[in-house]
Amino acid sequence: MRAMGVVAEGSRQHRRRQIIGWVLFALVVALVPFLIADTYSPTIFGNRYTFGLGNLSQAIAFMVAILGLNIATGYSGQLSLGHSFFVGSGAYLTAVLVNEFHWSYLATLGVVVPGLFVFGVLFGLPALRIQGLYLGLLTFAVAAVFPSIIRLDNVADRTGGSNGLLIDSDLEAPTWAPIEKITEWLHAIPGVGSRVPDGLTGRQEEAVYKYFLLVIMALVCFWLVRNILAGRVGRALVAIRDNPLGAAANGVNLATYKTLSLGISAAVGGVAGTMLAMHSGFVGPDEFGFSMAILLIVGLIVGGSGTLHGAVVGGLAIQFVPHWSSQTQTLPGTDVALEGPYGTAILGGLLIIIIFALPGGAAHGFRRLKGRLMPVAPQPPGG
Amino acid sequence: MGVLASVLGVFDITLDKLSDGELWLAQFFRGLSDGATYASVALALVMIYKSTGFINFAQGSLALLGVYLAYIFSVEQGLPVAVAVVCAMVASSAVAMLVERVFIRPFPPDHVLPLVIVTLGLLLIIDSAVGIVWGFRTRSLPSMFPSGAPIEWGIAQLTWRTIGNLGTVFAVVGLLYLLLSRTKVGLAFRAVSSNLESARLVGIRVGPTLGFGWALAAAIGTLGGALVVPDLLLEPSIMLRVLIFSLAAAALGGLDSMVGAVIGGLVVGLARNLLVTFLDLSELALATAVAVILVVLLVRPTGLFGSTRVERV
Repeated sequence: MRAMGVVAEGSRQHRRRQIIGWVLFALVVALVPFLIADTYSPTIFGNRYTFGLGNLSQAIAFMVAILGLNIATGYSGQLSLGHSFFVGSGAYLTAVLVNEFHWSYLATLGVVVPGLFVFGVLFGLPALRIQGLYLGLLTFAVAAVFPSIIRLDNVADRTGGSNGLLIDSDLEAPTWAPIEKITEWLHAIPGVGSRVPDGLTGRQEEAVYKYFLLVIMALVCFWLVRNILAGRVGRALVAIRDNPLGAAANGVNLATYKTLSLGISAAVGGVAGTMLAMHSGFVGPDEFGFSMAILLIVGLIVGGSGTLHGAVVGGLAIQFVPHWSSQTQTLPGTDVALEGPYGTAILGGLLIIIIFALPGGAAHGFRRLKGRLMPVAPQPPGG
Repeated sequence: MGVLASVLGVFDITLDKLSDGELWLAQFFRGLSDGATYASVALALVMIYKSTGFINFAQGSLALLGVYLAYIFSVEQGLPVAVAVVCAMVASSAVAMLVERVFIRPFPPDHVLPLVIVTLGLLLIIDSAVGIVWGFRTRSLPSMFPSGAPIEWGIAQLTWRTIGNLGTVFAVVGLLYLLLSRTKVGLAFRAVSSNLESARLVGIRVGPTLGFGWALAAAIGTLGGALVVPDLLLEPSIMLRVLIFSLAAAALGGLDSMVGAVIGGLVVGLARNLLVTFLDLSELALATAVAVILVVLLVRPTGLFGSTRVERV
């Protein structure tokens, strides 16, 4: 591939290129749900795959969960192997509030975000004395305990115990949402339109509505986190990660910023939990156990620790690698039957390969590729 | 009032139980038995931590693989259980050496975090490989020790299995001590644990020595697994709980002390059994492990017997 011409950072061409990029991104995000509202099921090498909008919605919730983990681990360098605890708490908080107090899903965020923030800060206070590997040890054990806490006899009648909790509130598209109309317009476009169904069933309409709701929540989360991290707080966190002593010597209050980062991280994790509850309408104790904690770490590293784009890639990876491999019945191109948790094995392998070959994760790889294909000259200093 | 009554109710039962000497003794023996198994896996964790400075989260998975091999050798091939366990220990050591060579040695040893992440990846790979090969059906592995109890006191039984578990762990510690203090490879291992760079400079081949440490740790872990499994049923997620209790044991003993690992294991085993019985919280067994880790890390981060790490800045 030939590289495009070099453009200067902040020049008109550069800005135009950025705008084109964002418009393309927005178009894809907006059109995909209509294309796959009817489940998309390709057949590749003799294996039939089904891929619905729900998978994408779940991936979006995972992206937000990884974003939260990224703040504590990727940016401020506190190894947390138990982020699933916060995600699970958020999901259960939402489920209980919706079921028992008949709140709407979005209203529960008013409790989940501050509640989990306080929880994260409280968790961060003892964590101040515990560093590096030891924090990993503690959080690893904490993650494994979450299902037992949910199953405790004292709370089981509220949390549903082992059976989980079915949330008895549907997310139906409000009447003002023009989902039906948009589908008709898209269907009317000659050529491409034939891929869009000419009408949506109630379920499909609900899925599309949920998808857009989750996309908006995710965008808000990413935007807020980006703003927090782009400024003073973000620089302080990165300084703590890279050299705690140096950061302290330069006037960064380690205690404040470390607890703050765990608080924000837990709050974002809680939002991810709410999103998961919205997506599936069900919460179960084992969903948020130790395996999710590890999956989130996989997503963080594979996508790229300490980058925002990485969370997007990571969320897609931990959703779709297990999904695709569980639907792969036979080894591609042959009749050899595949059965068992291949997806987890592949994720484990991916984790090791990424650490080995691309320590910055996929986000770093993309950035290098982009720098090769569409080089941008940095602004000369003092100009 | 209702709350008070229910608290009193719980207290009443507890009081009743607390005065039951036989129950105490029974739980004490069970605690020792569990503790011995946690101690073995904790010993394996300590071996790795001592020599390389990181926690091998895949230790439980290597033990899981070993126990499945022991199952194959004993139940499917018909070897006596003890022989099968020894064969499995040898086989899992070989796997561990291979794993160390392929996945661990390429990374610079002084960057701990990537190595921890690699062990998490190994955990995923090994656990799911076991699931793929042997499926999720539960199986039972017979114990190495005879059933029955030589000493009985009401419901409190000191079974052969408890005696065997304890004896095995103490034997392992003794052999390990001899191996590390009296043999050349043990000396090399201690040199590498104490200072990797200096060890390399005096001509010790650091890589193979660390590989030896991994092999030894995997063998001890497999033995620990073979002690645990007869009490439970063999299935792919069994070692995860054991791993967490063993992490608590290792943290309590101080991550780099072998004696500490054994004592930590016994204490965690006892604490778990006594707390769960007398507080009537069977679901919270794992939470005792978390509580132990948290308290140790807050009060005395070096554990009971660990050495303080001095960092130069």
